[in-house]
Amino acid sequence: MSWPIIRALVTKDLTLFFRNRFFAFISVLGIVAYVVVYFLMPASVDEELDIGLYAPVLPPIFEQLQGDGLSIETVDSVDTLKDGVTEGRFLSGVVLPEDIMEKLAAGDKVTVDVYFASDTPEELKDAVTNLIQELAYIQSGQILAVDISEEIIGPDMLGMQIPPRDRMIPFFAIFLILTETLGLSSLISEEIEGRTAQALLITPMTVNGLFLAKGITGVTLAFGQALLFIAITGGLNQQPLIILLTLLLGAILVTGIGFLLASAGKDLMSVMAWGLPAIIILAVPAFGVMFPGTVSDWVKVIPSYYLVDTVHLSANFGFSWGDIWQNLLILLGFDIAFVLLGIIVLRRKLT
Amino acid sequence: MAGDAIVAEDLTYRYDELVAVDHISFKVAEGEILGFLGPNGAGKSTTVKVLTGQLQPREGQAIVLGIDIARDPEKVQAQIGVCFEITNLYEKMSAEENLKLFARLFGVPRFDAGALLARVGLAGRERDRVEEYSKGMKQRLMVARALVNRPRILFLDEPTDGLDPASAENIRKVILEERQRGATVFLTTHDMMEADKLSDRVGFINQGKIVALDTPHNLKQQYGKRALRAQVTSPDGGLESREITMDKPETAGAVQELFGREKVVTIHSEEASLEDIFINITGRGLTE
Repeated sequence: MSWPIIRALVTKDLTLFFRNRFFAFISVLGIVAYVVVYFLMPASVDEELDIGLYAPVLPPIFEQLQGDGLSIETVDSVDTLKDGVTEGRFLSGVVLPEDIMEKLAAGDKVTVDVYFASDTPEELKDAVTNLIQELAYIQSGQILAVDISEEIIGPDMLGMQIPPRDRMIPFFAIFLILTETLGLSSLISEEIEGRTAQALLITPMTVNGLFLAKGITGVTLAFGQALLFIAITGGLNQQPLIILLTLLLGAILVTGIGFLLASAGKDLMSVMAWGLPAIIILAVPAFGVMFPGTVSDWVKVIPSYYLVDTVHLSANFGFSWGDIWQNLLILLGFDIAFVLLGIIVLRRKLT
Repeated sequence: MAGDAIVAEDLTYRYDELVAVDHISFKVAEGEILGFLGPNGAGKSTTVKVLTGQLQPREGQAIVLGIDIARDPEKVQAQIGVCFEITNLYEKMSAEENLKLFARLFGVPRFDAGALLARVGLAGRERDRVEEYSKGMKQRLMVARALVNRPRILFLDEPTDGLDPASAENIRKVILEERQRGATVFLTTHDMMEADKLSDRVGFINQGKIVALDTPHNLKQQYGKRALRAQVTSPDGGLESREITMDKPETAGAVQELFGREKVVTIHSEEASLEDIFINITGRGLTE
């Protein structure tokens, strides 16, 4: 393997990438637009309380509770309530006991279980607790002993609620990486269809060297843009090494997918036809970060979930190696699988 | 006598059931120009692909520059230049950039792209993008690219196909210069005139088999028909053609009789072309 040869080919690929007006435009536009949107988004959080409620017998006062800053949704089981809190649909989940009305009437102590999302700020927890006590008072007309049992669901991210724009960091970074799938696969498919690959392989360049050069080009394009964006938006302030490694693994993942797309497509249009559905599927986990509760566990079968989740947890909550090593391992596994599969399929087309 | 640049022994290549190259054997000496002729689909390009390491032979072997191409293609490829039949240049790059890229891939130090482009008549257009070039200019650039590493063997696949006379002549001039430099040239074409003009020897390939391989002169001697073609005045005052086959015992008598009995207007000798010979050997034309 000759590095001057690899370097020559990577330089050529990067030159051709930026001479393709379409890819040059969407790459630059992508970074600029995402950065602009990031800085335009509110830096503070929306403090409306979304509360889930499970109550076999619903005190009348709870039925009247819907108003400014408060949204109460009744669910039909404790499990549904917990899921809602885990997925972020509810800031907290409140379980009222079946005998609440009798106990309130008798002046007995009532135990109310309250579940909190792990990133619920302390002041909001206090607000929910006070709200329940207040409601109990209004219902019974006297101050009653209410025992509130708190339970944190998921990792404890107390006091670490993040503003929406910071949720956008993994979303945009992943989009930048995914977009490069199209750029790389287009470069390779043009190389095959234009038969320039044939000319390259008649020089001392080997097929393995060609894959390495294309891989470096793909990773450079994807990683470089994501890194630029995340650096500008301050996403490297926490756990920079983890984020860098995760973005690198993500770039390798899309390079493998790019190899697969290149073997399927014949030109830019067919690459787009295959690539856009792939990108949409890979982007689904990113929507899950942006809009918590919109996706559930099935999203974990999508390889990009581990990329999005790791960037989100590390950039926004400072999760450490010990917290996300499993994500990185799974992502590495997907990388190996997709790159090998891509090479096998593409090699058949090249030779 | 120089050594052999190419030795093909019992070389065979199949695309699934189709035998494209069928147990062919031949040698090409160093510094020789071998014209490899045959109609479309005869197996010319497949032979070139096997000899240049793009395809692995199914049977037999090809020794190129003393190296078994199937075992060590990279070592051979570092010393050869290939001009493909179909244009495969980087269209969004300039001619200069195209050549410099391949010079880097071949590890050529201090490469002078301008001088090479001038040799193929592209001086002044070095920095234009290839997408702006005409077909003839692209073909000349393809030839220039094949010369980047000063190859010991130059494989040219239909290098003048579809070109204007000036571009074709430029490429022929370069081929002869390369032979002068000492390079071996493996020229596949179905242009018989070109092969006749350039080649030291020509090989005919038909349906994957080599059906004849010799110098153009010997092939003409062996398979061609030489004739005298005359125009004579007919009894009604018009012109009629007469043909006398040469190299036969009765030729002299026939010539005497022609001049004694007829009024000859024009007379000239006619030699068989390679096309005629190919038809004579295979029963089919090169353009079929």
